[in-house]
Amino acid sequence: MQINGEWLLCDDGIIRPVIRGHIRDGHGLWIHAPFLVDTGADRTVFSAPVLAALTLQPSIALERLSGVGGIVSSVVVETQIRFRREAGRGTVVFHGQYAAVTEREALDMSVLGRDSTGLFAVVVDQSGNIVCLLGQQHRYTIEQR
Amino acid sequence: MADRPVPIIMEEVTDPEELAKAQAQWERCDRNTAWLQAHASEIYTRYRGKCICIAGEELFVADTPEEVLALAKAAHPEDDGFFLHYIPREKLARIYAN
Repeated sequence: MQINGEWLLCDDGIIRPVIRGHIRDGHGLWIHAPFLVDTGADRTVFSAPVLAALTLQPSIALERLSGVGGIVSSVVVETQIRFRREAGRGTVVFHGQYAAVTEREALDMSVLGRDSTGLFAVVVDQSGNIVCLLGQQHRYTIEQR
Repeated sequence: MADRPVPIIMEEVTDPEELAKAQAQWERCDRNTAWLQAHASEIYTRYRGKCICIAGEELFVADTPEEVLALAKAAHPEDDGFFLHYIPREKLARIYAN
């Protein structure tokens, strides 16, 4: 399985590795959401605007979220995220409980953390213009030129 | 909710009807994302501290996600591939790792 992402230009002029997905909202519809591929993040976290768009019933987050800026206010929602597979080979859905920050300035983009990426090998290669998750029958090799 | 996060379960979708609907939505998402990327420098500079939404390859701006979604959905009710984003007030180097 291969899930491809892309390098997207962000508001600060920096190009970052992003995989775009859909999150199922409180009405059963799918909401488009870009995820920063963050290999240092323990958990997948939704941004505050995405949380608002989802209209899901949140639970109190018993596990706190912290970053360099300190502990941030968060909640937990149970939902599904889907990603598209390579070359039109369908979609894959992740079912889980996901954290979401409640303050807009806390996170400008949702983050795909190791609770999700840990199911795959993660390739983040800006010079090669590659962002992808590899699993099951897909592998990568490292070659010396 | 338990103290420890419940493991994420992965499922492959095989239903042709659902896959076709998803593919159509992806195409709308791709168009709105490409539009934003093509106009990123101007939009990100001009609308700091605002919520933006691209729908129907058109920009909508408001103070809250609810407001901007209402504007976008009113103008393009058919577009379920909208791109919702908040532009931080300040341009700062970011370290994520939550």
